[in-house]
Amino acid sequence: MRSIPQRVNTKKNHENSSDSEGVATELLILKPEGYPLSGMIEDYPIIENKDVFECYAREQWSGCVVRKGEYLFDRRMFPDFAYKIIEIEPAESVIGMSTSIVVSEEENDPLASTEFKNPVCFDSVVGQELAKQKCRLIERFLEEPERFGKWAPRNVLFFGPSGTGKTMLAKALATKTEVPIIPVKATQLIGEYVGDGARQIHQLYDRAEEMAPCIVFIDELDAIALDRRFQELRGDVVEIVNALLTEMDGIDERAGICTIGSTNRVHSLDTAVRSRFEEEIEFILPGVEEIQHIFELNIETFPLEVEPCDFAALAKKAVGLSGRDLVEKVLKTALHRAIIENRETVTEKDFETTLSKLIKKDENRNPDRLYV
Amino acid sequence: MQMAPQMGYDRAITVFSPDGRLFQVEYAREAVKRGTTAVGIKAADGVVLLVDKRITSRLVEAESIEKIFQIDNHIGAATSGLVADARSLIDRARVEAQINRVSYDEPIGIEVISKKICDHKQTYTQYGGVRPYGTALLIAGVDDHKPRLFETDPSGALLEYKATAIGAGRNAVVEVFEADYREDMDVDAAVLLGMDALYKASEGKFDAATIEVGVVTLEGRQFRKLVPEEVEKYVQRVVEKHGSAEEKE
Repeated sequence: MRSIPQRVNTKKNHENSSDSEGVATELLILKPEGYPLSGMIEDYPIIENKDVFECYAREQWSGCVVRKGEYLFDRRMFPDFAYKIIEIEPAESVIGMSTSIVVSEEENDPLASTEFKNPVCFDSVVGQELAKQKCRLIERFLEEPERFGKWAPRNVLFFGPSGTGKTMLAKALATKTEVPIIPVKATQLIGEYVGDGARQIHQLYDRAEEMAPCIVFIDELDAIALDRRFQELRGDVVEIVNALLTEMDGIDERAGICTIGSTNRVHSLDTAVRSRFEEEIEFILPGVEEIQHIFELNIETFPLEVEPCDFAALAKKAVGLSGRDLVEKVLKTALHRAIIENRETVTEKDFETTLSKLIKKDENRNPDRLYV
Repeated sequence: MQMAPQMGYDRAITVFSPDGRLFQVEYAREAVKRGTTAVGIKAADGVVLLVDKRITSRLVEAESIEKIFQIDNHIGAATSGLVADARSLIDRARVEAQINRVSYDEPIGIEVISKKICDHKQTYTQYGGVRPYGTALLIAGVDDHKPRLFETDPSGALLEYKATAIGAGRNAVVEVFEADYREDMDVDAAVLLGMDALYKASEGKFDAATIEVGVVTLEGRQFRKLVPEEVEKYVQRVVEKHGSAEEKE
């Protein structure tokens, strides 16, 4: 027989008998924790009928003395599957036939919101005024929906080259507003089996509706809103796109949900999905002044001193690079150079060298001599 | 524009997609968009061609970048797209013009030569094992006392225009023409209009050294390229016009 559940439970049973009659548990809230070991075949229990499960659980665990934080192991259908006790009333008590047993719902939910870790503010997204304006509008709508009547903003698409701040702006929106934002990576929604994708999209919007008013932010939208002509490349394109279409604007009105999609391949989006976005906001590469601003904004957080540099001149050379390129490829590399050479300050030369290397690389990529 | 693979219908030029498109030919049109802008304008007394050459390095001799060619005495052409393809097409056009002179003892018609070029381009969209030409041509000239201006694209399509453009700045230029083109303007006004359009399409990078102008007038029936001094004068007029407009703002 299996040692782990037995050991734990027998111990409990002993305690039980020595304590004679403990206090009967009234309420027990469990959380599925999984198996102690992982192996080839794993079945994950899904509770179909809560009442039946309660009976089943009472029967196999009755008599156990339980405390908060301890584990209970299933001994029948899913041997060794562990449940953690996350709530118990009264604190230390014995499971009996009148204990109500509840399994908390938030079992490994693939849609569990991945909270944005680093707070970002609107100002750290340089430029992109149009997009910021739209974000403020959405924020406004979610705060006072009655002002908008039936003219509510619903779906907005951010597109543009990578590294221009699409995701960052969504982060800023999440940090700033009180309104909940559900950030989802589109790839998360696809799932392992055919059919998962559509189901998860519906689940996502079901949850959003419960939380409404709220914002659903779908990053890399092209992963789930691929043009349906690509059915041949990936078999589930049509069903996923259709699920998304019905959710964004379909039969049942989902009130108070704003969808923001972001993509850098706007041309491979399905035309029907695109038409559901009331506004498409293009994120463009920063201009000279914006580049200078990005430089100045980011060196403030440098752990080393920065010697005074002519950022205007540097910015002119850096035209054509995206915001991310500037931060990651220019500033970061320059800082790393200074650190590895054990210097106390970052100099203008550091920035120049990293920049000139980058620009050279870009030139090689463009076979423009072919065209006139 | 970035184009995604079209489910294999772009593998061969001879295969139609189910909605009736030839993707390879459409991609060849994208090659034209990679070229710099070339414009053509019909005036009352002639026809003009203007090009904006892109010079990526100061070491390049600007004259060696050719975008305007003479095809016959009375015909000029401006190209945009793959350089090598352009030269091969121009060469073919010159030969056709000479064949016409030898066979019929008269200068070739503009429409005739444009159709010959297009027939040739068309064969490269209908047979296997070849690729379409990645070049569009603006063919300008004078015949039967009328200025003519034709645009040929990689598919072999042919259209006559009053004023048009090919290459990267096409949309910006056509916008200017839609607003400002008049049929009664003379060659001088047409060159200015073309410069104006190029100025707007180039977004500030406007330099007399990179602009070339070709003109055929009804009177002379002779194609000629303007010398740099003449171009410089026009450029100055346009820059001044825009400079003063900006000051007013």
